[in-house]
Amino acid sequence: MRPGPPCPQHNLLVLEIRDLRYAWPGTAGDCLAIDALTLEAGRSVFVHGPSGSGKSTLLGLMAGVLLARAGRVSLLGQDWAGLPAGARDARRADLVGVVFQQFNLLPYLSVLDNVLLPTRLCAARARRCQPAPAPAAQALLQRMGLPAPLWTRRADALSVGQQQRVAAARALLGRPALLIADEPTSALDAAVRDDFMDLLLQQCRDSASALVFVSHDERLAARFDERLSLPQLNRCRAPE
Amino acid sequence: MLHLAARSAWNRRGTLSLVLLSIALATALLLSLEGLRRDIRASFAQAVSGTDLVIGARTGPVQLMLYAVFRVGGATNNISMDSVRAVAAHRAVAWTVPLSLGDSHRGYPVLGTTVAYFEHFAYGDRQRLAMAEGRPFSGTLDGLYEAVIGAEVAQSLGYRAGTRLTLTHGMGGDLAAEHADKPFTVVGVLERTGTPVDRTVHVSLQAIEAIHLDWAGGARLPGLRIGAEDARKFDLEPKQVTALLVGLKSRAAVFAVQRHVNSHPGEALMAVLPGVALDELWEVVGLGERALLAISGLVALVSLAGLVAVVLAGLNERRRELAVLRAVGAGPRHVLVLLALEGMLVTLAGALIGAAATAAAVVAAGPWLQQQFGIGLQAATPAAGQWLLFAAVLVAGMLASLVPGWRAYRLSLADGLSPRT
Amino acid sequence: MKHTPTARTARIPRPLRPSTVTAPRRALLAAGLVLAVLPGASLRAQPRPGVPQPGPALPAPPSRPGTAAAGAARTIDWDALIPPGWDPMKDLKGLDFSTLSDADPRAAAALSKLREVWDQAPVNAALAGQRVRLPGYIVPLEETRAGLKEFLLVPYFGACIHTPPPPANQIVHVLPRVAAPGFRSMDTVWVTGVMTVVRTDSYMGVAGYRLEAEQVTAYTQRPPASR
Repeated sequence: MRPGPPCPQHNLLVLEIRDLRYAWPGTAGDCLAIDALTLEAGRSVFVHGPSGSGKSTLLGLMAGVLLARAGRVSLLGQDWAGLPAGARDARRADLVGVVFQQFNLLPYLSVLDNVLLPTRLCAARARRCQPAPAPAAQALLQRMGLPAPLWTRRADALSVGQQQRVAAARALLGRPALLIADEPTSALDAAVRDDFMDLLLQQCRDSASALVFVSHDERLAARFDERLSLPQLNRCRAPE
Repeated sequence: MLHLAARSAWNRRGTLSLVLLSIALATALLLSLEGLRRDIRASFAQAVSGTDLVIGARTGPVQLMLYAVFRVGGATNNISMDSVRAVAAHRAVAWTVPLSLGDSHRGYPVLGTTVAYFEHFAYGDRQRLAMAEGRPFSGTLDGLYEAVIGAEVAQSLGYRAGTRLTLTHGMGGDLAAEHADKPFTVVGVLERTGTPVDRTVHVSLQAIEAIHLDWAGGARLPGLRIGAEDARKFDLEPKQVTALLVGLKSRAAVFAVQRHVNSHPGEALMAVLPGVALDELWEVVGLGERALLAISGLVALVSLAGLVAVVLAGLNERRRELAVLRAVGAGPRHVLVLLALEGMLVTLAGALIGAAATAAAVVAAGPWLQQQFGIGLQAATPAAGQWLLFAAVLVAGMLASLVPGWRAYRLSLADGLSPRT
Repeated sequence: MKHTPTARTARIPRPLRPSTVTAPRRALLAAGLVLAVLPGASLRAQPRPGVPQPGPALPAPPSRPGTAAAGAARTIDWDALIPPGWDPMKDLKGLDFSTLSDADPRAAAALSKLREVWDQAPVNAALAGQRVRLPGYIVPLEETRAGLKEFLLVPYFGACIHTPPPPANQIVHVLPRVAAPGFRSMDTVWVTGVMTVVRTDSYMGVAGYRLEAEQVTAYTQRPPASR
């Protein structure tokens, strides 16, 4: 069986943004302009940005969901713009994990089914799971502090904190190259939040995934390797 | 993907179940209509076989068939025995069976005929009548008050050989007069045929004459009493009969004999070919059938439109769900397939339930239809038309499901990872 | 009630225009006209909704001369069913129908004579045992769930409803080997099979046609290929 792409090693350039320009469809002026941004495997970056500063847009561009008007956004050396839509979706399924602020899970699936979703949509990602997707998912859930009895319960039967951890496990399954987190702790209270942060950062280091963490809460920035401020990064003066 | 669609649909089973029921109802309507069409047509077609012509007073071919063969409706006029003898004497005629209708027994029609009926009458595929019990009536004076009953009469009234029964004048009803002074005895029970024969009580022509000796115009003549035994002394040869079944020596002679009968100088007679008369009936009935089918088709379309509306209405709330799917790597195309699959699964489930309901209805209503009209329904073998309609519902559901699928496609394209809810 | 004679009702069924009968052609046309307007004939039932009006005779397919190859069915037309030399009008020569009025008793007598002759029309024995293919209209006799088991094949539309019935040698008693589903009264079909001549000492002279059909198919301009 042919193996999937090799596990990203440390110091490998995972994400590279160069001369990015993006404008919302239908608007005249750019809302996002970034000259340079790079990220290596296993590194974590905290992007600080208040609401409305274009965080979600940037994440969309990084994940290949949105396409830049000009410039280059490349994941593991491949520019998103160089691929057709179907190939972009497949690559995202293979190499990217996403955690939202809330409503990360499909409520009608069980916890385990939710975690296994990416492997169902992408064979390469399934192959990277050792020994097999289901045991790997279960191990990941254990490490995230979710014991076995919870695995068969419906996703919406869990608390918010537990759901976020399930979401993190789903994003980490199969060792993606890039993990994007969009304010994952904003709905959690302080105690739960710290535990979650520690777990997330630890797992990312273990699987050598690059982590992009976006939040408006500056106090979280301390744990990360790099800290960026989106309003300073973004060359456009008028956020929409 | 299928598993995902199934789980998603099941999750929303509350709202979807109403749509499911309406699809099931529409499918049941379509399928039972088509099945009824086929079975009624087959039942009618096999009610008489081997008879070349049916002769009666000059009414209409369909009406003649209805009352002569199916014992439904009433004759407006009778034909004289002279005409019957003239027809029987024709060179091309092999046999004739006169029929006399008018009386009933507890709602079942009474048929006066000759012993030739049991010899020549056939149904289905040239099947002769067989006795389940007993023997045909003898047609002699000794056996004047003998009756032979069909299988349905025997079963629902619990009659057997030896049972005594009295005939009612006319088609019954609360105030109908009974021929109570001349009771009959059942001497034979016929095997089940699946035709109107099953619900008929057969007696001899002479017996019909005998019970009407002291009657005139539908009521007993006051002061005149002729007892059962005394009736035998009278001349019981019938002067009139309702209809005549004719078999020819050569089937190709049917046109010539028909023309001969139609232009009979003495009396206004009419001869019809059973097959042709039935086809005429279906021409007329066909209009109604097509209208009913069209309406049922509309019902199906309406229920599918309901499905589309329900799924579309719920799409707005599901935008986050769609964003999650996109985040885990589903493309807009996957989203389209998912939504379309949901719709198709609901359609399939509804159609299957509808088909099952149709089969159950046939099982439930079949015996009643058999008893009332002599029509046999078949649930086990679906008609070709039924398969077609079932497939049409599925295909329509497939196409209809593409509408919310397309909408979801556009939505997830536009929303990306951050839906605007 | 008078039935308005349309051009179609007045037209003679095709078989009575063979090349062997030339001179009395006009008389035959008139005979057809007489037939159509004869008062009191119950054949002229008033048109009912849904019942088609009698149409023209079926167009004959292009005839294929020559003997049939072994096993192949020969396409024939209704003319072939008439033995050569049969002249139904020979006793009626001398009567000029165009001068007769409807109520003239000679017209009625000639008509019933014609009917008798038609009913005793002889068959063409040369067709016995031949595998043929013939188009015609269906008059159903026996129908079961599986389909038509017996029917008569006639050369023109409305043979039992409005127009006078065809002569005896223009009726074929068809028995399909396999019940033919989906056909109704007056449908047009191609029938393929072996033709036999059946002797019966009955009203219909001494003999009639019977065909055991291997194939009964809906009518198309081109005859179907034989299996």
